[in-house]
Amino acid sequence: MTDIGNNPGFNPGPDAKLSEIVRAATPWSSKLRLSSGSTSEIIAAVFLVLLILVALFVNFIPGLVSPKLPYGDFSQLPDWSLNGLLGTDDIGRSIFSRVLYGARTSMTIVAISTTIALVAGLMLGLLAGYYRGYFERAVDLFANALAAMPSTLVVLAFVAVTGPSVVTIIVVLGIFDIGTYARVAKAGVISQSNRDYVLAARAMGATDGRILLREILPNLIPALTAVMPTLMAGLIITEGSLSFLGYGIPAPAPSWGGMIASSTDLLSRFPLLILGPVLAIVITVYAFNTIGDYLAQRLNNREREN
Amino acid sequence: MSSDTTMAEPILTATNLSVGFMRGGKEMKAVDDISFSVAAGETLGLVGESGSGKTTIGRAILRLLPSANTTSEGSITYKGADITGLSKTDMRNMRGRLQMIFQDPLSSFNPRRNVEDIVAEGLVIQGRPATDRRERVKAALADVGFDLEAVAGRRPHQFSGGQCQRIAIARALAVQPELIVCDEPVASLDVSVQAQVINLLQDIRESRKLALIFISHDLAVVKNVSDRVAVLYMGRIVEIGTGPEIYERPAHPYTRTLLEAVPVVDASRKLEPDGRRTVMPSRNRPQSGCAFRGRCPRASTICETTIPILGQAPRGQMVACHHPHDEPAPGIAAA
Repeated sequence: MTDIGNNPGFNPGPDAKLSEIVRAATPWSSKLRLSSGSTSEIIAAVFLVLLILVALFVNFIPGLVSPKLPYGDFSQLPDWSLNGLLGTDDIGRSIFSRVLYGARTSMTIVAISTTIALVAGLMLGLLAGYYRGYFERAVDLFANALAAMPSTLVVLAFVAVTGPSVVTIIVVLGIFDIGTYARVAKAGVISQSNRDYVLAARAMGATDGRILLREILPNLIPALTAVMPTLMAGLIITEGSLSFLGYGIPAPAPSWGGMIASSTDLLSRFPLLILGPVLAIVITVYAFNTIGDYLAQRLNNREREN
Repeated sequence: MSSDTTMAEPILTATNLSVGFMRGGKEMKAVDDISFSVAAGETLGLVGESGSGKTTIGRAILRLLPSANTTSEGSITYKGADITGLSKTDMRNMRGRLQMIFQDPLSSFNPRRNVEDIVAEGLVIQGRPATDRRERVKAALADVGFDLEAVAGRRPHQFSGGQCQRIAIARALAVQPELIVCDEPVASLDVSVQAQVINLLQDIRESRKLALIFISHDLAVVKNVSDRVAVLYMGRIVEIGTGPEIYERPAHPYTRTLLEAVPVVDASRKLEPDGRRTVMPSRNRPQSGCAFRGRCPRASTICETTIPILGQAPRGQMVACHHPHDEPAPGIAAA
């Protein structure tokens, strides 16, 4: 039986044309190339990588003073030294140091809250999409209820009861994102379940668990990766506004929102000092959203190709 | 009540099988009181238009229908065991003997798996040791004309439709089944490739003594592969018999209409179809009596009141019609 299309056992003879050999050898070449990012997308990616490195290794930066202890005069204007790069705050702490340590705070919250939300959302979404019925309705109700509640207010209510703590904020913010991940996962499971490969796996005798985890789950990764950065940006903003209101990260610990709050008192006299934390939030959120858009678009292109 | 023109003992028997889907509180009968049997090594063709219940029958045999919003009645026995009543675990053990090949070759593979994993999946699930697995994957791929070393690491989208369908056949063969349900296996392929895949299926069927249930809307394809053919209309078998019985002397007016619709190379030999009465009844509000009467040139008053049951036709096949034909179909005999 002769082969159709690309012959897997293609054996070029002495007269074979180069293009034929290339085509037979690399039939996947056109699929493998990723659409390369634009300049802003590359900058955003580089920024996020730097941010993660800073969050992980900020205490190893040589010469950087502690973010909790005064370093110079209060409300010192920016100068060209490492610690004075963004000036000092109302009690003389280095704003630059606090911005970098604030990155660690924000990234920790983003990482843990997202893990909580992703694991729980994925589980609910997988089960709801696969078994449908009452379970699906329950998960929908849960997701809609979460979406209907303003997360800031709910966290405020929690904090009012428990007192401001990092754990409360991480857990409550994590719970709020469960709904979105659950919905994305559910939609993915429903669309994947209708494909023949799921039926084929079942015809082979695969258990529900195997079908969900080995067959469907890997195909949900693109969609989840695309929504993740946008939700992470939302976490940073919510955490920032909570800290700004004084219900976020407890006082001496550095957080971007808290820094903005303490700078507002001095805003009329030293407007430059608010720049550091504001830029940190704006650029980080912008970078997350840019990467999210890029991933979502690439996902769409891929699906159109297939 | 089966048209046993075959001598062999049936391995699969469906008795009074009905499947309905609930949509918005209403039941739509996709398969309505169907009985048939398949013998070892036999090919049964299921023909019918879209929505006639072909695929539903195939999936019911393998218990692949969704459990939610689906009602099913009747029994399917495989070598004496009632498949519909098996527990999940028993059914899983049965899976190795019944396999399926799907219509869309690409969507029947997980896009994130490579060919070797795809073909080996059934064996992994059965818990075969790795060495044995590789041997059987190699053999199954060799049966469909592939060399394991050459294709092992590749992904499904790197193959053409025909190649994908051969891999799908290999995947089904790897678990050494006794019966394969082929659900429109060639409908999405070019005609030249169709022939290759069909020939391949025929060769494998003969060498492995496989029973096939071959689902298609293409009468010519079914004629070539099937020992017996069942014609479906609106979830019911309207005619069932051997190839020559059905194709040379179709007794049911619907079969005749289908055959008239087959394009003929020589236009002067083509039968002019009777295009007067074509009212498609709604599946949600089934009409009384015979489901085909709205489109039937022979319909009479009895057709409005009584559902025709499958009975012996003048020429040997079974037909469900109050006014079966008894003359040969000249257009088809000529073609």
